[in-house]
Amino acid sequence: MSIFKKLVTAVRGGATEVGEAIVDTQAIRILEQELRDSKKALNDAKTNLTAIMAEKMGVARKVKELSEKIKEHEGYAMQALDKNDESLATDVANKISEFEYELNIQQGILDGYESKIASLSKMIRQTERNIQAMDREISVVKTTAKVQKANDLAAAKFSGSNSSLRSATDSLERIKARQQKREDQAAAALELESEDKGDDLQARLKNAGIVDSASSGSSVLERLKKQKENS
Amino acid sequence: MSNKKLEKLMTDLADNPLSDGASLSIEMFDGENAVACIKVEDRDEFPIYMTVDEGQILCITYLFGDEQVAQDKRAKLAEGMLLMNVSIPLSAFSKIGNQYIMFGALSPESSIDELLNEIETLSDNVLEAVDALKDYLKEAV
Repeated sequence: MSIFKKLVTAVRGGATEVGEAIVDTQAIRILEQELRDSKKALNDAKTNLTAIMAEKMGVARKVKELSEKIKEHEGYAMQALDKNDESLATDVANKISEFEYELNIQQGILDGYESKIASLSKMIRQTERNIQAMDREISVVKTTAKVQKANDLAAAKFSGSNSSLRSATDSLERIKARQQKREDQAAAALELESEDKGDDLQARLKNAGIVDSASSGSSVLERLKKQKENS
Repeated sequence: MSNKKLEKLMTDLADNPLSDGASLSIEMFDGENAVACIKVEDRDEFPIYMTVDEGQILCITYLFGDEQVAQDKRAKLAEGMLLMNVSIPLSAFSKIGNQYIMFGALSPESSIDELLNEIETLSDNVLEAVDALKDYLKEAV
């Protein structure tokens, strides 16, 4: 069964058992052993392949030599026939038939090697794919193990503190409130800054005599008195 | 080997703020130095757990547990998560035990900038996701 399927099955079987079912160190050990075995098998297959390819090259050379010899002797036989030397031609023909017999055998061996090489190459590719898949599986299992452990630790930490059972929405609200406060503070700071600048402007206007600098308690009182008289 | 890699990542992360200036606080989470806990400034409520192995760097945040889900809305919640999953940049939903999570995975050869981007995106995604899913949770009023 694939590791993903195992995960789903384990989860369905009961959420609390996920950890134990999947993240069993035994399972990791078994997977890692399988991986080591596969890697060894792969190495063996590659060594095998190299040896067979070397042998094949030897046989291929023999086949080539025999084919060349056959051609060469066919030429001799023709020349003997041209000279009407029937007995010499027969001898050469016999030699050719020996070569052909040998060629047949070697060609058979060569074909055998070629099909062996093809099947070994296929097996090697297959094993390489298996190893990749296993690597992925181990990674999934290990990650699940780590995550599970982190989860257990986090759960223990949260339940141990007085902030236990803090809800996601409460947390979000707190973060938002904090953010709002920061923004308000920043806005207030900005406002203060511009007020400061305003004060500064006022002072400069007064100094320049553009704005009445006599606006004081006494002048206000004066103004109020006038208002009272008029009413 | 993985542990050294994790420790290296932690040091590198601690030296780099996020693009908006938020700092990261990082500590080893477990005794075996297999899991790092990353907290984005002002977002301590949703820490990011990071693990590293030969195959990937994994960043996980816990969203909420089964007990927080409104029982009659479980199926809707699951469907909502599936529907959102593809559109969310870099992160995906999943479940570990009885905890709903959001996670992102990176190649172990990722640069520190890529990892920072991952953490920042995951942190943003988590807030967005909880906001989007809160109607399915018990606390929703």
